[in-house]
Amino acid sequence: MQQLVNGIFLGSIYALFAMGYTLVFGVLDLLNLAHQAVFMLGAFIGWLLAVEFGWPLWAAVIGAVAAGAILGLLIERIAFAPLRGRPDAHFAGLISSIALAIVMVAVALGIFGPQTLRFPPGSFPSARVSFAGATVSVLQLVILAVAVTMMLGLNWLVASTRLGRAMRAVAENPRAARVLGINVERVTLITFMLSSALGSTAGILFALAFNSIRVEMGLAIELKGLAVIIVGGMGSLPGAMLGGLLLGLAEVFSVARIGSGWRDVVAFGLLFAILLLRPHGLLGRKRVREV
Amino acid sequence: MTAERAGAVLEVRDVHVSYGQIQAVRGVSLTVPSGSLVTLIGANGAGKSSTLAAICGLVRAKRGQVLVDGEDVTRWRSHRLVEAGVVQVPEGREILATLTIEENLQLGAWHQGRHLAEGLADVFGRFPVLADRRRLPAGTLSGGEQQMLAIGRALLARPRILLMDEPSMGLAPMLVDEVFGVIERIRAEGTTVLLVEQNAHRALQAADHGYVMETGEVILEGPASELLANERVVEAYLGEAFHEPDPAVSDGGGRFPDAAPPRC
Repeated sequence: MQQLVNGIFLGSIYALFAMGYTLVFGVLDLLNLAHQAVFMLGAFIGWLLAVEFGWPLWAAVIGAVAAGAILGLLIERIAFAPLRGRPDAHFAGLISSIALAIVMVAVALGIFGPQTLRFPPGSFPSARVSFAGATVSVLQLVILAVAVTMMLGLNWLVASTRLGRAMRAVAENPRAARVLGINVERVTLITFMLSSALGSTAGILFALAFNSIRVEMGLAIELKGLAVIIVGGMGSLPGAMLGGLLLGLAEVFSVARIGSGWRDVVAFGLLFAILLLRPHGLLGRKRVREV
Repeated sequence: MTAERAGAVLEVRDVHVSYGQIQAVRGVSLTVPSGSLVTLIGANGAGKSSTLAAICGLVRAKRGQVLVDGEDVTRWRSHRLVEAGVVQVPEGREILATLTIEENLQLGAWHQGRHLAEGLADVFGRFPVLADRRRLPAGTLSGGEQQMLAIGRALLARPRILLMDEPSMGLAPMLVDEVFGVIERIRAEGTTVLLVEQNAHRALQAADHGYVMETGEVILEGPASELLANERVVEAYLGEAFHEPDPAVSDGGGRFPDAAPPRC
């Protein structure tokens, strides 16, 4: 039971991160590899606001989310917009987003240094809640609530709002969207901002959960995020949620039952197994690529 | 609706369009008076669709001007043109197959959200088949129904001028009649229409005025009735219009009326 709770808790952060990834991929067919740097910067900015500027924790989280949106805007403008219209825009964007991620990591290293930052003792409420044989901290519950709220909110936004309809239209057929009078460039920009807001939220929540903020923290989650969206089905938001939760549970259970050295082996082995059974991912659809 | 009798809604002046080294449109000029139905006919590859794309801001005209109600809109981007009422029913319909019929229509009203309810009622009145299936993915519609959806979607944008690109393409003769009936009704209600067609005979029968394009240029223009009687036009374009062109050749296939597979 305790493991189940911990797995869902960790998985929800993975899911949040992966949804940001898959949102940009699903709508724009672009893989933004600077997403991991947004995750890392989200954690640092949240820490900066809470510890250095003395903001209350909730305000620091909101600040990190907003900073994520701004980072998304910058990523789109710097790494993707200038390449638009090139025949190799997808590949070029992949490379330029890696380059931008390297720059962002270097900037973080310059400002915050290589050491692990932590929130000072007493930053978090210490109350704990027990139910059904598991114990969770109030902080964990809040993190889970934020993650779930944002996931459901994003799903609602994409499924039921005017902006969401426009995003799905751009995802299916950018030319048709343009003919309908949708400002495709603006939808693109907003998609990047939403995606990065999710990424940086995942970052600050991860930092709060493990009380550890390092410049390299994005690298570890980058691969997991990619694995999650592939397993969930590229471009599928519910798939990313499901995939994230599965990965979180697989990691927690393998650490508890087999040993921490086996964590990645079990987690990624499971992901491979899923792909063998469902090559398009859990909730992915067969995509017919138009060339 | 908004048919001021005087003046041209759309004026195209000496527009050139190129794709790399290929010159698709070489100095096309045309005028669409308010409330009229003007058709642009010509063979496949004559530059008709490129002319439309330049009007709609989907490609940049290399030279020349596009005027809407006398205002120079040559550099406007497509979303701004749609907002101003320059609305296209694109070639191949460009239905969003994974979205529902209702969502397609809602997107048509992107800039006209305030008039969404009445617009939806109007379109569902015109095309009851769309009302019945509004919650289904648009990809489940047949080719003819998809064309109705594309037209309905464009009407929701409250067009000042409707630009229709090959609306009869790939449809069975009966459905072609239906589509032309819809077009004539839209025009009778006062909406200005520029109709691009390969089905020259039908287009000229419906239109007031016609332009004939060949290899990127307008080679002939005049009142539609005169073009219908013109030997050169009859010889070049109308001879083939009486037997249906093969849709599989003309647009890549897959748009037969009752067997249209969902496009993914």
